[in-house]
Amino acid sequence: MTSPVWKIHRNGLFWLLVAFAAVIVLHADHLPSWILLAASVATIWRIQLYRSAWRPPSRLIKTGLLGLCLAGLVVEYGSPVGLEPMVALLVSAYLLKLLEMHHRRDAYLVVFLAFFITALDALFDQSIGNTLYIIGCLSLVLAALLGLHSTDADGGGQLRPLGKAMAIMAQALPLMLLLFIFMPRLGALWSVPMQQQSAKTGVTDTMSPGDFSRLGRSGELAFRVSFEGAIPAQQNLYWRGLVLAEFDGRTWSRSPLSRFQDSGLVQWYGDPPKSWDQLIERKGEPLAFSVVIEPTQQRWLYALDTPKPDSEGVGLTRDYRLISAYPLRSKKQYRVNSWPEHRLEPQGLPPQHRTVYLQLPEEFNPRTRELASRWRKMVSDDLELVSRVLTLYNSEFVYTLQPPILGKHSVDEFLFDSQRGFCEHFAGSFVFFMRAAGIPARVVAGYQGGERHPDDYLVVRQYDAHAWAEIWLEDRGWIRVDPTAVVAPQRIEQDLQSVLGSETDFLADSPVSLVRFRHIGWLNQLRLQIESLNYNWALWVLGYDQIQTAFLRNLLGDNSLWRIALALTGVGGSLLLLLGFWLLLPRRRERSRDLLDREFLRLCQKLEKAGFPRQVGEGPRDYAQRVAESRPELARELVEVTRMYEAMRYAGETPDARTLARTIRSLRINRSG
Amino acid sequence: MISPFRQFFQHLYARWLGHRLPPARQIKLNTRSLFIFPSKAGFSFLLLVVLCWLVATNYENNLVFGITCLLTAIFVVAILHSFANLSGLNISCSRVSPGHAGHPLTIELVLQQSGKRLRENLILAFAGHELVAIDIAATEETRVKLGFVPVNRGLIDPGRLCVESLYPLGLFRVWTQVDLNIRCLVYPSPQTVLNRRTTSSPLDGDEGLIVQILEGGEDFTGLSDYRPGDSPKRIAWKQFAREQGLYTKHYGSAQDERLWLDWDAFPGLDTEARLSRLCGLLLSIVPLDVPYGLKLPGLTIAPNTTDSHRLQVLRELALFGLSDRGGER
Repeated sequence: MTSPVWKIHRNGLFWLLVAFAAVIVLHADHLPSWILLAASVATIWRIQLYRSAWRPPSRLIKTGLLGLCLAGLVVEYGSPVGLEPMVALLVSAYLLKLLEMHHRRDAYLVVFLAFFITALDALFDQSIGNTLYIIGCLSLVLAALLGLHSTDADGGGQLRPLGKAMAIMAQALPLMLLLFIFMPRLGALWSVPMQQQSAKTGVTDTMSPGDFSRLGRSGELAFRVSFEGAIPAQQNLYWRGLVLAEFDGRTWSRSPLSRFQDSGLVQWYGDPPKSWDQLIERKGEPLAFSVVIEPTQQRWLYALDTPKPDSEGVGLTRDYRLISAYPLRSKKQYRVNSWPEHRLEPQGLPPQHRTVYLQLPEEFNPRTRELASRWRKMVSDDLELVSRVLTLYNSEFVYTLQPPILGKHSVDEFLFDSQRGFCEHFAGSFVFFMRAAGIPARVVAGYQGGERHPDDYLVVRQYDAHAWAEIWLEDRGWIRVDPTAVVAPQRIEQDLQSVLGSETDFLADSPVSLVRFRHIGWLNQLRLQIESLNYNWALWVLGYDQIQTAFLRNLLGDNSLWRIALALTGVGGSLLLLLGFWLLLPRRRERSRDLLDREFLRLCQKLEKAGFPRQVGEGPRDYAQRVAESRPELARELVEVTRMYEAMRYAGETPDARTLARTIRSLRINRSG
Repeated sequence: MISPFRQFFQHLYARWLGHRLPPARQIKLNTRSLFIFPSKAGFSFLLLVVLCWLVATNYENNLVFGITCLLTAIFVVAILHSFANLSGLNISCSRVSPGHAGHPLTIELVLQQSGKRLRENLILAFAGHELVAIDIAATEETRVKLGFVPVNRGLIDPGRLCVESLYPLGLFRVWTQVDLNIRCLVYPSPQTVLNRRTTSSPLDGDEGLIVQILEGGEDFTGLSDYRPGDSPKRIAWKQFAREQGLYTKHYGSAQDERLWLDWDAFPGLDTEARLSRLCGLLLSIVPLDVPYGLKLPGLTIAPNTTDSHRLQVLRELALFGLSDRGGER
């Protein structure tokens, strides 16, 4: 029963184009500029098509446009794999389809593409602001879908589709929340192309001079931590992320041992303990905390020493770090128990590990090697050697974000010439020195410190990135040594800003970051409030899949599937029932009519008392006529009242029950006879 | 070609529908009379939801998951909105204007609602006939005229009225097929008898011809030379047998202006053809404002010129020989 010739009407096209513009703007920041241009051309063409001013594109032109778009995408991205090319391809299809709407099903395709493309934007930006914009976009696309089905309306009716779309959105919201809370999440079914522009700031798995000083320029969020107890002292907050054991003369990178993610070397949460678990001596009470980490596209996670995972999909590695089962494509939350008091492998280091942690390239840094072996001969005690090196740092060295550029023998140049550096210089040179002196050592990369939020959680930013060292001593096991703490103790006890706040490079990449204006009271207050809102957003919405199990267990007592299904259908069913009642019951807006009827009934009673009961099926006018015949003195008033009643009740005159009531009351009817 | 299978199911459906929605003068659209099912677009929308879910799951993105939930919720809420667009509406037929077979006639329907709900884009049609899309504004009563082209004369049942709505989102089709017990009085398709085969008629032009065909006065007025086309019934066989030549008998008189629509004027034709020609003649006569009568086998209506007379004649033409006379007036 659909009409054979379909042409989109004015109002429908209007909303379709508004939605189109909104969706394109939503994606504008990661679309090539020529697509934006093509989108405007498509819009103009579409409008001209509607006005029959231009002709629809011929098959040749359509093929040409398609080819042009594909060629553009190939030039722009090279490979079709990846999130951006995929979105760009969809957007191209979207704007070409806009020109080719011959049937209603084409219009459906356009609208459904718009829905899908809008949803994809959530992969790029998950901030609260963007989410609101996405919801706005969805409303507009819904209005476009509605516009396809409402009749064309002029003037005031033009906004009707949007109003109705908003109403449907609002009514769908409770149901959506219900589904969001209760629907079980499955893990990734297959691996998917990731964002290409992921060269975001963050700790990487290699460390060359200059890497960490670059992070010091960024105020971007790294992760947030909430502790079950009190937040430990600032100088104990070493967020261990990566162990870098291999040195090629310039760059520290992960050892093969650490890169090798064999199941034997990862202790996943919930698995039976591996043999090397007994090498860890955990003492005292653990610190329990949970971390919400920003997407890094990497697998490593951050935790305090020495951690044990308390969340599904998180594992402990052989070098006592945490890793995630999948790369972090979106924010992730995980819980950890850490034992600040611990000993790691105090009994002895396996020979192959010893080799790894003593490895040094031969041809680099002869001066350092020479000094190390000289000191080794003078001092037999390892700890004393360590304190000697640290004293060396303490004497002359300067901690700065702007270290001079180093040549081939970077450690030599740093230790003996420039003596100015950032954490990676100190950690790298220290580990080099230790290894040269025969002490197993490794660089650890991660974050140090964090900002305490008044709401009792910790915010760790990119400029908190830090590198330090770990050395292995007989009977003590692995212990942490942070040479930076010796040179710039404030860096560890407070934060980077307190040491380098005056340096121009600090936060140079985040010029408008509110962190810059910490010293302005009310602005700082605002910043902290926004921060708190974002944290809760990340915790409860973006990271909901991580806490769903625990949340549902709390809510339902147990999170078996049938209970979830019961809650979902029960609550959802009652919500729908309520909505159904509200939608389907007739609106009682004709109250004024009821009032008129009541007044007329009063008149009938009055007349009945006077001895003129209304007969069954007698109309108001006939009734009045009959009474008037026996009581001519009332005729004029009676006719007037019935005329008034009929006019208001049936003829569409503005109902005015009060006037009618007054007139009826003024009727003086005496008992006849 | 309709496959027998399909035919069988259509038959089953019609029987079931007749049972569920028996004919009634007024039908209220409610859960009993309305049907709802996802449209093709609705199923495509579900595909979209699945796609979004796959993205959300594979990227482990809770925001996309939330959007998936929102789309699902919209789909569910759309069920209620689609249903509400038709539910609570009273449909009855207010007037059927009679017409001729093969020509469109209009059926006026009244749609009533007790509240003031705005209903958009309702599509009404009798199966296989013209579609009408209407909005029902906040008024309580809306009248809509539907076209219907009957094939045969008689008291015709236009079939079930289809009322359908895709509003608001097109994801669900809500429809009903109600039998409002409508009977349209359909007159025979008028066939014009006038062609210029006779030029030398006593009266000139059409009028002469009509009179010639219809003059059916009781009195024999004389003979004239036979002209090809004269009714064989009027041939003066007696004279012919006497070999006096071929003559045509003439009845009636020039003074007697009464004309007769006579069944017997069209010998050799079948019933429908005769009725069509009589109907066509009637339509040609009415503007002449002369009294006319109707002679059908077993029925004679005396000549008259009034409007009610005309309607009665048309009615007899429409119902001649049919068993269903819709309760004789």
